[in-house]
Amino acid sequence: MNGQYASLLIALPLLGAFFVPLIKGFGEKAIKTYVLIITAIQTGIAAWVFREVYSTGKPIIVIAGGWKPPVGINLYLGHFAALFVLIVALASFLMAVFNFKAIEVEPIDKYAMLFLLLMLGATGMISTGDIFNLFVFMEITAITAYALTAYNKTGEAAEASLKYIILGGIGSSFFLIGVALIYGATGTLNMAQIAQLAGHIDPTVAQVGLALIIFGLAVEAELFPLNAWAPDAYQAAPHPVTAMFSAFVVKAGLYAMARVLYLTSAVESWHNVLRLLVVMATMTVVVAELSALRQRNVKRMIAYSSISQVGLIALAFALGTQAGVDAGVFQMVNHAIIKALLFLGVGYAAIQLGGAEIENFRGLGRRMPVTAFGITVGSMAAVGIPLFNIFWSKLRIILATIEVGYTWAAFLVLGASVVEAVYYFRLIHAIWFEGDGERISESVPLMAIVIALVILVIAIGIYPNYVWSVSQKAGSDIFNVANYIKNVPLMGVGA
Amino acid sequence: MIHISAFYFGSIALVLIGLYAVLVKKNILKMLIGLSIMETGVNLLLVSIGYISGRSAPILSEGITPDKAVDPIPQALVLTAIVIGVATTAMALSAVIVLYRRYGTLNVEEIRRLRG
Repeated sequence: MNGQYASLLIALPLLGAFFVPLIKGFGEKAIKTYVLIITAIQTGIAAWVFREVYSTGKPIIVIAGGWKPPVGINLYLGHFAALFVLIVALASFLMAVFNFKAIEVEPIDKYAMLFLLLMLGATGMISTGDIFNLFVFMEITAITAYALTAYNKTGEAAEASLKYIILGGIGSSFFLIGVALIYGATGTLNMAQIAQLAGHIDPTVAQVGLALIIFGLAVEAELFPLNAWAPDAYQAAPHPVTAMFSAFVVKAGLYAMARVLYLTSAVESWHNVLRLLVVMATMTVVVAELSALRQRNVKRMIAYSSISQVGLIALAFALGTQAGVDAGVFQMVNHAIIKALLFLGVGYAAIQLGGAEIENFRGLGRRMPVTAFGITVGSMAAVGIPLFNIFWSKLRIILATIEVGYTWAAFLVLGASVVEAVYYFRLIHAIWFEGDGERISESVPLMAIVIALVILVIAIGIYPNYVWSVSQKAGSDIFNVANYIKNVPLMGVGA
Repeated sequence: MIHISAFYFGSIALVLIGLYAVLVKKNILKMLIGLSIMETGVNLLLVSIGYISGRSAPILSEGITPDKAVDPIPQALVLTAIVIGVATTAMALSAVIVLYRRYGTLNVEEIRRLRG
């Protein structure tokens, strides 16, 4: 099949969101089913792209309107994008199932539109090959995320959403200044051409421009000190949206950051930028773990845990080595699975128990055994116990960190993992060894998802090799910039 | 004839004024105004990066050939950025309406239900 069909990845959610008002008349169940169908088709297309890219070993370049880059805007579906577009689609599909139980607040049709647009934004950020197009997709993601955060219409939701809007606004302005500097220095917005010309940029301009772009993306990627919005938004947003934030919205930001960073690796002052990112990432891990320790709200606690793991991924990307990037991608995959599982379990339990405070979770093991089992496996994996998937990626990140010589960062991160164990075991203790209660019947489709994710966690934990080799390919897609430039059919303009 | 660096200084000054308002003001509406000022500064910076002294707007009409026009790409970017800015502002203002109904105040020091 022609690779240009991959543009459906962008077109389908956009058209899907556009046609939601037509379904509105058929009631809320019809809208939820419609979202489920659209995300299922999206997953199918993404799976086809994944198979195509991994079997041929060549990226799919979608050229919009027949205008060759750098004149036209292209999509670049390499090994990394193919993997993550699939994860985005799959996570959205699972959360579309969760929507049936979790979303009661009207207007459901607006929710469905925003849901599809959030998926679109993240897919676009991951697959675009143009830095301004990246900005546009980032804003689509951000604006839908603001709206979804405020969706529950409580005071808390509006407060969290406003915090997010203000930080996101500052971030997008910084990003745009960075883009302006890079454009002024290279005269192009195409990522491949920027990479080609990166060696000629004045080091000071490049350093300032890159630092501004990283600061701008750090809002989406939840890096300290620009992540103050994240715990509030995670707590206040509807449960499926929280899972989507953690599973792929933050990943899209991280990926964009890593991509822009490695494209400009020919810049002389590159290592100064990396050092900035290492410090930001380590601070993210430490601050988030210490904040998680004193949370009483389970959703908020897991939000902090998610932020700390994201910091770990950013640390891996900031190392500037192949091993680091591979480990970072591996951690991204594992983290997406774990956090989808945890937020699904905690969200479902919170709906049934009437709240996400840790007191509500007492005796969950007797009341909702399958959900409790899912949360337990997710928690143990997140801590990094052997035989679960995160163990392997954490190990590789720490080894890669020590290899580069950032021993202090490795120590801080390991220390933070001990803190992580404390609060997760407190949660597990509350679930299994405290309280009592009547058995609540659990929804069958949701439990099927929980069990499937648990099996995935353990399968990757015992046989990490397949996912590791996929992550390695995806990692070299980011790291190997020369290949990236070669794969994009640039017209000979300006170069 | 104004030197091109005047535009750069002006736009960066606007960004900093906006940032000051966002970071220091206590009223959420004032913070949002600061955000808008920041966006304006960024847009001005983008336009001035594409500006070439003495040339006309990039609209091809009688007497304006491509070598007499400024760089059109930053102007296209600014158009997009303005639209995005409007969407963000509209979204923020609707959140402010909900916030005011629930809390009865717009002072950030009093809006602190989510803590920790």
